[in-house]
Amino acid sequence: MSMIMSEPITTTDDASEPVEELESELVQRSRNGDLSAYDELVKRYQQRIYATIYHMTSNHDDANDLAQDSFIKAFSALKSFKGGSSFYTWLYRIAVNKTINFLKQRKNKHHMSLNDLDFNAENDPDLVALVSHKTPQRDASLSELQKKLNEALLKLSEPHRMVVVLHDVQGQSHDEIAEIMGCNIGTVRSRLFYARQQLQGYLTEYIKPA
Amino acid sequence: MKDSEHNFEELQQLLKLKRHEVPPPGYFHNFSSNVIAGIRAEREVAAQARQVSGNWLTRLMSIFETRPGLVGGMATSLVLLLVGGVVVTDQSGSDSQNNIFTPNTIDSAQSSAPISQPSLSYASANSASSGGISISTNPAASLQPMSSLFGQPNPLFQPASFAPAQ
Repeated sequence: MSMIMSEPITTTDDASEPVEELESELVQRSRNGDLSAYDELVKRYQQRIYATIYHMTSNHDDANDLAQDSFIKAFSALKSFKGGSSFYTWLYRIAVNKTINFLKQRKNKHHMSLNDLDFNAENDPDLVALVSHKTPQRDASLSELQKKLNEALLKLSEPHRMVVVLHDVQGQSHDEIAEIMGCNIGTVRSRLFYARQQLQGYLTEYIKPA
Repeated sequence: MKDSEHNFEELQQLLKLKRHEVPPPGYFHNFSSNVIAGIRAEREVAAQARQVSGNWLTRLMSIFETRPGLVGGMATSLVLLLVGGVVVTDQSGSDSQNNIFTPNTIDSAQSSAPISQPSLSYASANSASSGGISISTNPAASLQPMSSLFGQPNPLFQPASFAPAQ
């Protein structure tokens, strides 16, 4: 399976009108209780929603439960969806709030249950360049790096982690993140800057000094 | 800012690793069906909850239908309770009205007192009728001395003297 979990999301410009119409149609049908239409919407966004939650929790089981709960909650709340934003932004907002609430309840009891890396990771030139100088055993080094990276992410506060995940991992724009998180773009930028600084501090071993 | 962004380039490359973390193969094949099953389960729970509340009402109504005497008894007791409440409220209202001295009642108390006796003050007249407790809204009357309730000398009380002034 060569699927990459969190491909940068291309929005608005690439989305042709018929696709958007289809989505609004699916939303309308789902609002009327049509589960097959909602099934289609779930299939469309399941990977992105799961990936966001997984990168926030670093735990597959938690991500699985939270992603399913988010979709179920979204369905029951569809009547309140006014269409002021796109469906996926609205859905993201539900998932993000659910995840942040979950993490606040869990507090500092982090239990990582990491997913495996796909085989493309070994061939990613950026990653190869990062780890090749450390050890010739590339696989071992990548999994070690994965663990360190997740540990470092878990040290960030939830809002800072969320901004890094949405921007640097998921590839969302500042505007989209601001809309999803319900804050202004300035806040997103400052959180991103601070979170990157923190991460850089935690991962000095793997990042060459500037 | 540009310098700092340049500094973050390696970090961003490192964060790319996260994109290669994938769930177990086939995980998404059943994901949507699990969500739909969850929605159906929630619907069932909601329907059952509605049924339970509906059952409660239905049972109550069926009891009333099968036992019309029970309905009559409940209605009668409710009416009695209501009437009793009204009567009690009415009585307590009239009692409290009796305790209020109006100018008319004070005048009648004064006129009934013998002329040869020293005229009682409003307060003493009131205390006679209300068990020694002075009840008056007249500030002048309420300042009048009254006899002690427990046989102790009242420093404010001065016995009236009818001896001609010398």
